[in-house]
Amino acid sequence: MLSGIDYFVVIAYIVGILLLGYYFKRYVNSSEDYFLGGRSLPFWAIGMSIVVSDIGAMDFVGVSGQAYRYGISVGNFDWIGSVPAMLLAAFIFIPYFWKGGMYTIPEYLGRRYNPTVRTIASLTWIIFFAVDLGVLFWASAVLLNVLMGWPVWASILITATVVGIYTYFGGITAVVMTDVVQLVIMFVGGLTLVFLALHAVGGYNELVDKITTMGPEYRQHFDLIQPSTTKTPFPWTGILFGLTFVMANAYMIGNQAIVQRCLTAKNEWHAKASMIFGSALKMLIPILVLFPGLMAIIIHPGLEDGDQSLPMMIKSTLPPGLIGLMFSAFFAGLMSSVDSLLNSTATLFTKDIYEPYIKKGANDKHYLKVGKITTLVLLLVGVATSPISSRYPGIYVAIQTFLSYFQGPMFAILLLGIFWKRTTQWGGLSGLVIGIAFAVYLNTFKSQFFTIEDPFLYVSWWSFLLGFVVTVLVSVFTSPYSESRLSGLVYSSKKKEQVT
Amino acid sequence: MLNFDWLAGVSQESAKIVFLVLFVLIGILVMLIPNEYAYEGVKKEDRHWWNNLKLWAIGVLAVLFLIYYIF
Repeated sequence: MLSGIDYFVVIAYIVGILLLGYYFKRYVNSSEDYFLGGRSLPFWAIGMSIVVSDIGAMDFVGVSGQAYRYGISVGNFDWIGSVPAMLLAAFIFIPYFWKGGMYTIPEYLGRRYNPTVRTIASLTWIIFFAVDLGVLFWASAVLLNVLMGWPVWASILITATVVGIYTYFGGITAVVMTDVVQLVIMFVGGLTLVFLALHAVGGYNELVDKITTMGPEYRQHFDLIQPSTTKTPFPWTGILFGLTFVMANAYMIGNQAIVQRCLTAKNEWHAKASMIFGSALKMLIPILVLFPGLMAIIIHPGLEDGDQSLPMMIKSTLPPGLIGLMFSAFFAGLMSSVDSLLNSTATLFTKDIYEPYIKKGANDKHYLKVGKITTLVLLLVGVATSPISSRYPGIYVAIQTFLSYFQGPMFAILLLGIFWKRTTQWGGLSGLVIGIAFAVYLNTFKSQFFTIEDPFLYVSWWSFLLGFVVTVLVSVFTSPYSESRLSGLVYSSKKKEQVT
Repeated sequence: MLNFDWLAGVSQESAKIVFLVLFVLIGILVMLIPNEYAYEGVKKEDRHWWNNLKLWAIGVLAVLFLIYYIF
């Protein structure tokens, strides 16, 4: 249970973030301000925002749980599963999107392929974000329940209310600038827990010795590279093919919540720099999220649910006051993820669905209003869908499973769309639809096809490959767009522009 | 086939080398990026070694290489 000083820290944090977020209301006068921050933000704020948005409740709770069960191999997601993809995004993809003045990734797909591809991509992301919101809410509720004994639904509603208010009023500028503060709090709170817990187990060497001698199932807890025959969800083949080649790129290049931040940059250098700066910060994340799970193996052995390891570590390791700080750090991760999803989904719906299909040519104030209302509606959907995630054994794996349905095929058509001008609209549409259908099929019948516990990395790779092949094959037999139609949308046209 | 059975004979050590080589390759590709492109958006008179994004990227890759080399 929290003490008086912990409550004070948490409440001060929540009120401070609310006021800070609300302050940025004054900068929102148009839909561009609401969705792209008036394209005026600096790289350091965007980079911090990218990182903190990517580590929410699911990482604090879920990754600690994975580390408890499988060891440091889950850290691959923040290292090789982020850094190379962020560099690729920084130097190749982000400049395209930023120069094109785009609001959404599906907007690019619509220009490159056709409106149907844009709509499918956009709707898929909207559905995913709604489910993702539910996962985030549930993660927060689990932690609050363990720590404070709060009823699950009360926790969800409090979180939704706080985040909803500042996101509704301040748009993406409020989201990014509150993220900066949230990252600092998260690092301070997380590192404090790691430092004290490491001290409690007798230091790093002691930690390694104790865990690796606990039994055969713990011998590979400190191996990043797991054999391809491992029963964990992280064989090196899955990490290389599924994560590094597909999911990481798809996430960093095709994820609206990530890319939209870079589109708020004040110029192209800031857009690129934000991703690279973010990749540097990203490498520190496993220290915050992995170590508590590893140390819980020593301090709280035999937990039935690994996801309980972080809450248990907070309760047993931190003194009053610091529990409140760690609790605020957890809130920071949760809020930054939720606000990103809210604003990005509002952007997707307003720009890709509402504007082209429901009301074309309305004035800008109208679209601003639609964006704000969408934010509220999504919040309600997220709250309502939150119990779904409780059916999955690990929260983090659950979210990766949702992602693996469509990340692979989406990345395949994005990659071919930019680098191969012969790719046709029908090729892209077929690759996307068949690839997603294949991913759903593989996931549904995974026990018949795969030997590992949760094969989401493999599903992602194979659906990417099929999406890629189908796009190429259909493109070969259908007519491509003219060179002038593709100007500024494919890599070869950019090279020609540079020559001329 | 879907489980990458044909790679079951590759040891963890060999797999680690594959990862390390990948980082080196990415580093080489980063170095091949023209300086002009890495500085795009920065005025000519404001261009210094510390805002060369290629160096930022190489620094990040070096740390990543070290992490995978150790673990």
